Amino acid sequence: MGTITRTFTNNIGSNGVLGSSAINNASLNNITSISGVSLKLLSTATAAGDASLDFTTGLDSTYNEYWFVFNNLHPSSEGTNWTEFQGSTDGGSSYGVTMTSTFFYAYHDESGTYTSLSYSSGEDLAQSTSFQQLNRFGTGADNDQSFSGILKLYNPSSTTYVKHFVFQTSNYDQDDFVIRSFGSGYFNTTSAINGMRFAQRTNNIDAGTIKLYGVS
Amino acid sequence: MARTKLVNGERIPLTAEEEAARDAEEAAWAAGAFDRAIADLRATRNRLLSETDYLALSDNTLSAEMNTYRQALRDLTDGLTTVDEVNGVTWPTKP
Repeated sequence: MGTITRTFTNNIGSNGVLGSSAINNASLNNITSISGVSLKLLSTATAAGDASLDFTTGLDSTYNEYWFVFNNLHPSSEGTNWTEFQGSTDGGSSYGVTMTSTFFYAYHDESGTYTSLSYSSGEDLAQSTSFQQLNRFGTGADNDQSFSGILKLYNPSSTTYVKHFVFQTSNYDQDDFVIRSFGSGYFNTTSAINGMRFAQRTNNIDAGTIKLYGVS
Repeated sequence: MARTKLVNGERIPLTAEEEAARDAEEAAWAAGAFDRAIADLRATRNRLLSETDYLALSDNTLSAEMNTYRQALRDLTDGLTTVDEVNGVTWPTKP
């Protein structure tokens, strides 16, 4: 690991301001690691006309937090195209864990006419085994339209607590709106979540990737 | 064409049961299309109405143009029975 040889306090003037020589290119180049969040890429699913993208390996007790990063998921055709997920406690044999969740969204259209910020009771869940939506309104199927975002899942292997999740996504919909969706919830189970399924209701996922990261 | 699912990077055809479940899901979803469309329409309509609610307070005289606009918003869902009709509504212009 690199070392910054000058002590930090030597670079603070009598006025309490950090001197210009405190940090320079040389000292920055010497830094070989920075403590904090570390992401480990566990797997990548690249869609090509699939009904669902499933992850049944990699979700275990190795990490306390897992991120699913959605990059330009694109539906096969126009439709409702709501990206959604469910979990599994049996390694992917079934997907239908009871969830309770919240769902908010904001939107703005390309013409600048319509804006909104709302809680949406149509997309939240209350002790339901349905899939949880990740976006409001359907993702468009034009070549430049897609869906991106992130879902964070906490302690999926806990056998003591429920499994919390939070998500935030951006969706370019078929009516040329951008919709920012965000929410949170939990799998109401003390069994380990060891599988996750992602789908776009009601079309196949034509393209795009979902990357699974472990966070430490 | 048979559907597939991508499981840990491996592309697998859906089983007959999974295909049937997906077909049923899509059919149910399609059957609810009008309800979802009209709900979205009402949500937008209600938001537009709420934007001018302050003009309809008792201490303000609503202009004829604004009165017409607000009534047109309230009437917007009248007679709509199909998704195409919902998607094809003409929104009144705010005065």
